[in-house]
Amino acid sequence: MAGQVARLETFQPEIVAFCCENSGYLAAQMAIEAKLSYPQTVTLVKLPCSGRVDALFLLKALENGADGVMVLACQKENCKFLKGNVRAEQRIEATRKTLQRIGIQPERVAFCHLAANMGHKFVEEVRGLYGKLTELGPNPGKVRK
Amino acid sequence: MIIANGKPIEEVLKSLEGHKKVAVLGCRGCVTVCLAGGEKEVGILASQIRMAREQAGQPVEVLEGTVERQCDYEYFEQVKDIIEEADAIVSIACGVGVQGVAETFPEKVVYPGLNTMFMGANLNVGVWAERCQGCGNCVLEISGGVCPVARCSKSLMNGPCGGSQNGKCEISKDVDCGWQLIYDRLSKIGRVDSLRNIIPPKDWSTSRDGGPRKLVREDLQLESGK
Repeated sequence: MAGQVARLETFQPEIVAFCCENSGYLAAQMAIEAKLSYPQTVTLVKLPCSGRVDALFLLKALENGADGVMVLACQKENCKFLKGNVRAEQRIEATRKTLQRIGIQPERVAFCHLAANMGHKFVEEVRGLYGKLTELGPNPGKVRK
Repeated sequence: MIIANGKPIEEVLKSLEGHKKVAVLGCRGCVTVCLAGGEKEVGILASQIRMAREQAGQPVEVLEGTVERQCDYEYFEQVKDIIEEADAIVSIACGVGVQGVAETFPEKVVYPGLNTMFMGANLNVGVWAERCQGCGNCVLEISGGVCPVARCSKSLMNGPCGGSQNGKCEISKDVDCGWQLIYDRLSKIGRVDSLRNIIPPKDWSTSRDGGPRKLVREDLQLESGK
């Protein structure tokens, strides 16, 4: 019991952030350049468009050690490929439902719209998910610990 | 193509209770095109199974494989190793593929991961609709290219029936009346007069009514019979 409490106290959620290279990834770079602090357990994955994201990516990330995943997409009606961010959001919703059905909290999947110059928003979103995951605890479905 | 849809994950997980090593087997044919049972869907289902079992405290090893077509049995040779290694297989091909696995590997337990629905067309992204029932005796030449068997809820040969209202079928306002579609189509091609000809009762023995069907083409058969 004491060991478990200690583990929870030291729990640092692992997050995989799938970022559109036209917005989320640039916002993350801006946050880094501006030396804004955000949890270091975030792994950035650059995508050509948030529309490239698929349920498979999100599930594999969660299965392989992530406690939460997020998709950072361009602002509404501002996708370079017109509907990529809309499709990404649809897939996120479907993935949340899938997770719920297998007993994993859907809140582990986050989605946000932002622009390339929104380093602060990137940090805010990452911290938001990190806080939520800290409350939820480790992902019970992760196979690779 | 054959249209299928994933079974509820709860149903798949229930089938797999007690199994310690399973193989999820996809098909690169129709079910890949209708986004239900291809390589990507194998990955998704395998991931769901692993995570569900992990969080339930009953970890399972899930192997993944996809073959060109599960309805052509020679392709199973490529995944023989993983099938032999697993103690149960979830096939996410159509029902033909699931039976293909069962026939090729008679010692193995096989579960379907999809519900096979119909032979249909892709009308829009994420929308498929039935177009053929495989009745074995095509009548599209007399109905202007719109199938009365598949598109009329009653498969009437001389429609429409009294349930046709404003071009819709009585079963649902979302279902077009097949015979309205036939009428519209025949009008467009200047053949509406052909509706005066009464179509005689259809011989349904070529359809499911004649029992399980089999096609043998002697011009293609090999002397060895294989």
